[in-house]
Amino acid sequence: MRRSPLLWAVALAVYAFLYIPLVVVVLYSFNDSRLNAEWVGFTLHWYRVLLNDGEMLEAGANSLLIAFVSATFATLLGTMSGIAMHRFKLRALPLLVITPVAMPEILLGVSLLIFFVQVLNFTLGLFSVLIAHITFCVGFVAIVVRARLAGMDESIFEASRDLGASPWQTFRLITFPLILPGVIAGALMAFTLSIDDFVITFFTAGVGVHTLPLQIYSMIKIAVTPEVNAVSTLLMTLTLGMIIVASRFAPDALKGAA
Amino acid sequence: MSAGAVLPVGVLPGSTRRVQSRNSGLGALQGLALALVLSMLPLLQAQAADVLRLFNWNNYISQDTLDRFEGVCHCRVLQDYYSDNEEMLAKLAAGATGYDIIVPTGNAVETLIRQEALRPLDRKQLPHFGNLNPDFLKAFFDPGNRYSVPYAYTITLLGYNQTRLDALGLPHDTWALLFEPRYLEKLKGRVTVLDSPRELMAAALRYLGYSANDRDETHWARARDLIIRAKPYWASFSNSSYIKELTLGNIWLAHGYSNDMFVAAQDAQKAGRAFKVGFSTPKEGAVLALDSMVLHKSGPRPDLALRFIDFMLDGHNSAELTNLIGSGNPNAAAMQYITPDIANNRAIFPDSDGVRRLEMLRDLDRLQRRVLNRMWVEIKLR
Amino acid sequence: MRDFQTSGGLLRALHPATLTRWLVSGPPTAFMLLFFLAPSLIMVLASFRFPGAFGGLAPLIGAGRAGEDTGLTLENYQFFFSDWLYAEIFVKSLVVALVSTLTCLVMAYPLALLIARSPKRHRDLMVLLVILPFASNFLIRVYALMILLGPQQALASAVNGLLALFGVAPVNLLFSTFAVIVGMVYVHLPFMVLPLYTNLEKHDPSLLDAAQDLGANGWQRFWRVTFPLSLPGIFSGSALVFIPVLGMFAIPDLLGGTRDILIGNLIKDQFLGTRDWPFGSMLSIMLTLVVLGLAGFAARLGRRDRNEET
Repeated sequence: MRRSPLLWAVALAVYAFLYIPLVVVVLYSFNDSRLNAEWVGFTLHWYRVLLNDGEMLEAGANSLLIAFVSATFATLLGTMSGIAMHRFKLRALPLLVITPVAMPEILLGVSLLIFFVQVLNFTLGLFSVLIAHITFCVGFVAIVVRARLAGMDESIFEASRDLGASPWQTFRLITFPLILPGVIAGALMAFTLSIDDFVITFFTAGVGVHTLPLQIYSMIKIAVTPEVNAVSTLLMTLTLGMIIVASRFAPDALKGAA
Repeated sequence: MSAGAVLPVGVLPGSTRRVQSRNSGLGALQGLALALVLSMLPLLQAQAADVLRLFNWNNYISQDTLDRFEGVCHCRVLQDYYSDNEEMLAKLAAGATGYDIIVPTGNAVETLIRQEALRPLDRKQLPHFGNLNPDFLKAFFDPGNRYSVPYAYTITLLGYNQTRLDALGLPHDTWALLFEPRYLEKLKGRVTVLDSPRELMAAALRYLGYSANDRDETHWARARDLIIRAKPYWASFSNSSYIKELTLGNIWLAHGYSNDMFVAAQDAQKAGRAFKVGFSTPKEGAVLALDSMVLHKSGPRPDLALRFIDFMLDGHNSAELTNLIGSGNPNAAAMQYITPDIANNRAIFPDSDGVRRLEMLRDLDRLQRRVLNRMWVEIKLR
Repeated sequence: MRDFQTSGGLLRALHPATLTRWLVSGPPTAFMLLFFLAPSLIMVLASFRFPGAFGGLAPLIGAGRAGEDTGLTLENYQFFFSDWLYAEIFVKSLVVALVSTLTCLVMAYPLALLIARSPKRHRDLMVLLVILPFASNFLIRVYALMILLGPQQALASAVNGLLALFGVAPVNLLFSTFAVIVGMVYVHLPFMVLPLYTNLEKHDPSLLDAAQDLGANGWQRFWRVTFPLSLPGIFSGSALVFIPVLGMFAIPDLLGGTRDILIGNLIKDQFLGTRDWPFGSMLSIMLTLVVLGLAGFAARLGRRDRNEET
């Protein structure tokens, strides 16, 4: 049972299950057929279509902008929550921050929809999406930061206090540098969650703002052409490239900063 | 006990782990993101110029027409799409604003008028209004056309793989194909129906001999039972993918819109399929959807919107849409530009006998909507 | 941050520790109160109200249009409980979530075990390979399955060829409950692998050696030692799969057939289809209650488990 052939066989099957569909997506992005069903011939046509698709590019720009801004604010609020949750015995904050992480996304999306439209009388769009993304990302950042703090030796902080440092000095010189990897990890997580989010965006975007996932959904739902495959392939290549570059230049980072 | 309670057990190691293994790749990603955002700012600002915002059905205008209009008005046309009137109304109810023009179907126009969401038209700005066929100007939803200008129409009918149906010896022109087990046995798993409570109920009601707008709940219940009996033979509910599935030959019978069937028939022909896709209006009668251009109150550019409407009233521009997607055309001046095989197709342009068997859907009130919704859940669940 | 020190004159009035506490926990608390708690409470309120005349929700403040009822009502709840239909959807969703979770567990466990028992230098790569598909959006992954399960693909031909040998009529792989579950599993699998791996990695190999010395065979060593120790990982992985699956609407939407309607679809329809927000809110409240109940149950299981360990 330790590392038996059976174990290997199952594991390989699972890896195959994870990768074969993605390979098919990539393959069909080069398929010279509108219909995405049988292989006809090689073409780069769908990439040209994609690069001339203004709406898709705009959606990409929106996604990046939203992810960047919401990750920034979520990191700020999440780090504060993480520190507060670790340092003070708080009842309400952990509930407020972590519950959204644990609930099905649709619930947050729907309740924010009602809130924005009915109470704040907002026009749904960029701003409502940003608020929604910050709300569900804060918890993830807080969890990571708190985990980082929990793993630390309390005596450093005591020593700092004993040596006469003010709370602010202790934070700036001791706490912050120590939790920085956690903060960065949280920020990256928020960025990924935001750029990937479909459900919450679906309810809070109205029709004014398109993000990449929304655009992909409506393409899959309404008019499937291999342009969807092309955009998927590009996105996967981009992420894969990043990971390879990162492993070249900062191999330690891949093993985890903590 | 909160849901948070489950988390500390496991989310923690799992999620930190996830971050750790990805973070460096994403660090670079974040840098790149910033660069990309900055480089794309000019693109976002381009929106600030003259823009006409159109809330339209998917694939419901020719790109050539759009390009020409953009050239004439020196503006950009931005479109958002919907695939169902309910979806469009729901998005408006959810606060979607800023649309100059929407192209809803009659019953949705009625709702929007009652909601006072529309701007009255300034007929003086529409010199080409006279091009419209008078038959389309006395619709129930806006009798004097104070708010709406007919754009195009479609019929909800049956599209089919003609070669297969003929080989099986099945008829083409009856809803029985969709509802009667004796036909469905031969089509099992090869049928799709619209994922729309109103449209599917309308088909069932017509087949049972009732009006598509029948409000009698016992009639609704009979229609529901008819649908539930037929459902095991259907492959899926589909609002648009049936076009592709018909073209591929996976689906042999589809309940859908005439213009979609036209596209499927064309695609199948172009792809050199060994079979022919056809479509016809069932003899029991069907739903006619007259889509009209209306000005939404939230639209900032009624001036551009009126120019667009008048542009679309031009016979040549209007015909371009019909030639592209095979939609019915309420514009008399367009007829001369429409290719004969479309103009003579009775499933696209019905004759006067066919028109009598067509019905436009009326909107339901909230209690009727809830009852229908409950039936729909029942239909989906059984 | 200089302000912090210079404005000290005013702030000295407060105890510094209290002040820090407020400064650190105040902003996130305020934000979450406004954008999480308030919307949730509004949703509870909305579930006791009437829809607006044209759908949506009757205005919360001020008078409605003619014919609009702005009072409170139990109508939505009555409609839900008037028969079994809606409860059936909940049961069905719970079953789909359970099957998806168990399938994930069965697939993830051997993989997590293998990774945990591999040499240290290989582990990171193996974990990375599990996470990598996550780098693509989940809709893309669902779309990938739509292609793969399509009737033209080798998979469908192979399955139907096999069925034909036994004289069974061909089946559709795509647009079926089967496709929905495959989709749920495909999208959530890493959520199961990762907590399991983090748990299994911490196991002390000497325990297994001891068991072996005591004469336990491979299966016994797994069943008596490894498995009980991995229960916390199983619980957390299961929660991470079960709860999101319960609220999912996009996967049944894209992969499901004529019977595949889950709670998520029902809720989505109320907001983006039939414009019945109060009923949608009521359904959301029901879903929340189910999730909270499950979470409480899982927490109790976890606690009992830990008590038994000590």
